[in-house]
Amino acid sequence: MNTTDNEVVVRCRSVSRTYQEESVPVKALQSVDFEVREGEFVSLAGPSGSGKSTLLNIIGGLDRPDEGVVEVSGVTLNELSESALSDLRLEKMGFVFQSYNLIPVLSARENVEFIMQLQGVGAAERAQRAAEVLAELGIDDMADRRPGELSGGQQQRVAVARAIVTRPALLLADEPSANLDSATTRELLEMLRRLNETHGVTIVAATHDPLVMGYARRQVNLRDGRIIEDTRNEAA
Amino acid sequence: MVELADKLVRPAAARETGRRGAVAAIAWRNLWRNRRRTWLSAGGIAFAVWMLVLSLSMQDGSFEIMIDNGSRLLLGHIQIQHPEYFDDSRLEFTVEEASPLAAAITASRGVVSVAPRLQSFALVSSGERSFGAQILGVDPVLEADWSTLPGMIGEGRYLEAPGEVVLGSILARNIGVAPGDEIVLLGTAREGGVAAVVAELVGTFDSGQTELDRSIVQIPIADFRSGWEMADDEVHALLVIAESVAMSETVARDLGSGEGWRALSWRALMPEAEQTIEMKAIGAYVFFALIAMIVTFSVVNTFMMTIFERTREFGMLMAIGMKPAAILVQLQLEAFWLSVLGVTVGLLMALAFIAPLEAFGMPLPADAGDLLSRYNMPDRMYPAFSYTAAWLAAGIMLIGTQLASLIPGMRIFRLRPVAALRAD
Amino acid sequence: MPLKLLIQLGWRNLFRHKRRNLMLLLAIWVAVAGVIVMNSLIRGFQYDMQESAVANLTGHVKILAPGYLDDPNIEKSFELAEDWQPDLPGVTLEGWAPRIRIPAVIMSERETRGIQLVGIDPSRETISFLDSVKMLGESLEDAADRRVIIGKELARQLETDIGRRLVIITQGMDGRNREAGFRIAGTFDADGTGLEKLFVFTGVNALQNMVDAAVITEVSIKVSQQLEEALAQQQLTEAFSELEVLSWQQLEPQAAAMFVYADSAIFIWFLVMMGALIFGLMNTLITAVMERVKEFGMLRAVGMRPRSVVAQVVLESTLIMFVGVIGGVLIGWLLVLWLSDGGIDLSQYAEGVELAGMRSVLMPRLWLQDVVLVSVLSLVFGVLAALYPARRAVQINPLEALRR
Repeated sequence: MNTTDNEVVVRCRSVSRTYQEESVPVKALQSVDFEVREGEFVSLAGPSGSGKSTLLNIIGGLDRPDEGVVEVSGVTLNELSESALSDLRLEKMGFVFQSYNLIPVLSARENVEFIMQLQGVGAAERAQRAAEVLAELGIDDMADRRPGELSGGQQQRVAVARAIVTRPALLLADEPSANLDSATTRELLEMLRRLNETHGVTIVAATHDPLVMGYARRQVNLRDGRIIEDTRNEAA
Repeated sequence: MVELADKLVRPAAARETGRRGAVAAIAWRNLWRNRRRTWLSAGGIAFAVWMLVLSLSMQDGSFEIMIDNGSRLLLGHIQIQHPEYFDDSRLEFTVEEASPLAAAITASRGVVSVAPRLQSFALVSSGERSFGAQILGVDPVLEADWSTLPGMIGEGRYLEAPGEVVLGSILARNIGVAPGDEIVLLGTAREGGVAAVVAELVGTFDSGQTELDRSIVQIPIADFRSGWEMADDEVHALLVIAESVAMSETVARDLGSGEGWRALSWRALMPEAEQTIEMKAIGAYVFFALIAMIVTFSVVNTFMMTIFERTREFGMLMAIGMKPAAILVQLQLEAFWLSVLGVTVGLLMALAFIAPLEAFGMPLPADAGDLLSRYNMPDRMYPAFSYTAAWLAAGIMLIGTQLASLIPGMRIFRLRPVAALRAD
Repeated sequence: MPLKLLIQLGWRNLFRHKRRNLMLLLAIWVAVAGVIVMNSLIRGFQYDMQESAVANLTGHVKILAPGYLDDPNIEKSFELAEDWQPDLPGVTLEGWAPRIRIPAVIMSERETRGIQLVGIDPSRETISFLDSVKMLGESLEDAADRRVIIGKELARQLETDIGRRLVIITQGMDGRNREAGFRIAGTFDADGTGLEKLFVFTGVNALQNMVDAAVITEVSIKVSQQLEEALAQQQLTEAFSELEVLSWQQLEPQAAAMFVYADSAIFIWFLVMMGALIFGLMNTLITAVMERVKEFGMLRAVGMRPRSVVAQVVLESTLIMFVGVIGGVLIGWLLVLWLSDGGIDLSQYAEGVELAGMRSVLMPRLWLQDVVLVSVLSLVFGVLAALYPARRAVQINPLEALRR
């Protein structure tokens, strides 16, 4: 898929971030420039401490840069209040974490509906959209089970369902495959690819898993807070 | 061979005590892994202890004084009476040969003084008006010694010589007399005739208790004796003053009874006092029981959470070879330290409240919530730290906490190391 | 965030840890039930106190001559028109009774005692303890009845009995003593209390003849609704401006003080019970927050407002208190029912009880308004206890929470 002419969804300019770890300052990101266009499937790759998670968090509005500008869907995140950032995350982003994605006391279906309830979507529409998304991802037969009753891979699929049901501008994944075996990882990645190619969902995944890097169309390598490589993976 | 055996045995024993000490220290440190939780739990225990010690100490302090004040006003700590007199105050129910008896009692251990008394009901008349009142024949010298009533004379003075009378200020007002006026007492004498005594009012007293001031008259016992035609050396009561209220019980018990008389302590003379004390104490105990239950359940709750959180840790301990029973012992020790912490804080708080009050007194609250305020309360109350309450509260909370940790602790026996290690 | 969702989340989170929340629930039940039962006992005590004071010839409101309280003398009396009726708009009257009440001396052949001689109109004494007291022999027939009824304890002390004669000496209107003989019509049983030892009743007209004056010393009024007391007192004060009109609280200040003291006792009980509860409640709430740090982090990351996090914690606390209150009220109510069967027997504390102005059997009384107040205050308490844990929950930084 050629995305080079598409709209820029994420734009980072000269983004720097330093944080204190046990009173030792760590330069997580050093003047990073980064752009993501609509429909891309990007992996932020690198060893631990490279800054990939920090960059992902800043894009997602979970963290603020010390320097630089961040724009998502044309909105500059720097000036937004915490409350506005929260709303932005709700409306515009979908998150998939390594673990603890779901509310343990709600069923899979309810977890997917939950995010729409936060947005104030009506009951009928919620039910319909949730059903669609669960079916799409092939987990509708376990829709009424609670996370505790699902395997790791199934949980991640529900997490993805929850992330995309709001039709976000961006799907952000932080080490989505860290707790999964390779077969399950492949299933998950197949699903993500399908979402990206068929539905045009823009995906940014921070990972050190080569499998994930392989599936992403574009791999951005980070090291010590800087982008050292930005390659397109045409073979993927 | 012996030396070798020695070498094997002794180090093991030393290891054992070393281990025990280590377990105790580990238990203490484990408490502090979650400071907030420990302080909250200890806080609950401290609260319960504090409540009981405080409430019982407050009560203790006031009762002793109240009873003493009440006793020293009119009734004495102990009274020697005819066995039937208390239930049926007939004129002829007297204690005979009172003087030798009084002397013997005065010599007894713990007795400060003994005063005789004759009493009856009569009409008190000023010529204008008459009122019914209780006439007490007393020995003015002895009475002035032990009773606080002579010190409450408002107008005039207390009895000194025969032919004199004192009465309560309200009674004086009701019959319209003042010191210097003549009073006539009219009653029924021992053999049935008229008992008449004419006396000069020398003083009126103000005890602060309307019932006393309205209905009590005192005359010298000799005047009573002749007026009511009582026999020589017979009395209705010998009032015994002991060294203290607490001492009076022992004294009453020692005196017991004799031919034609028995000793009644303040408990019999003022049953309402003892009953009020008992009722209040029951109230305090019920109070504490409920609080203890609430706190104990809360501690069970806390231990449930702690044990749940440390499942993986227990799995690891069992994996490396520690027996479940040993883990339980460690938990019980943690519970023990927790209760020690809570009890200590509670007792210290109670002490901090009571010690200054015990030294400087506490102004009595104006409410009539204290029924014994009738008994001539002083204006300050001095609570006494109740050791009974301290021991009771400490003991109950210590035991309760041990049980509270034991119940969820039994879960340890159901743990399987491998599954536990995989726990969250 | 919609309330229904919050409540659903709250319930399910509570059920997640059934056993340990059950323990907390037990503590709350004990606390609430304890408050309810003590409340009912204290109210019972208050009620008894009031009833005793009122029935004990005091009534709700009394009309007296000025100076009578200090000097209860026949001279401190007033006249009442034969056909006088109380005119109290807005007050539902239960009854009223005119009386002469003066100190006197009573003598039998053997003994002499000081008493309160009370001239009554028997038909009007529905408002006092005489209405339901156990009688041996006959009661007084009417206001002109020249006989007396005395307490059985007094009869015993005087060594006399029904049918025998007694001599009563009292002061007449002119200040001189009057002496007259009275036959005992019957004796009354008032549980051996002071009433039995102190009061002797005769017809008010008969007593008026004895003292040579057509006066009374008091009119006692009883209203049906306790709240109308003040109104009645006000209206009577206006009607009898030259006399003293006093309420039972003024006539028996010690009882009134005890009454008020009871209210503060209830309040203290509640505070202490809740005080004992707060340690366990807070511990549970804080743990419930701390063990879900990652979950709360995730929720904030996904876009839930901090406000909703606070709401979640507060609601969980409220829900648990809610179940606690319902259970506690139920248990308390059942206990009160059980205690009401016969009441609490205090007869072994007879003298102490009398000193307090209580009856020998304490009957608990549970008022709906008290239950409602306890429930509401408990829920409020639950909310307050959740404030600190909620603050901790909100302080959870989504970033740190998600960091491994």
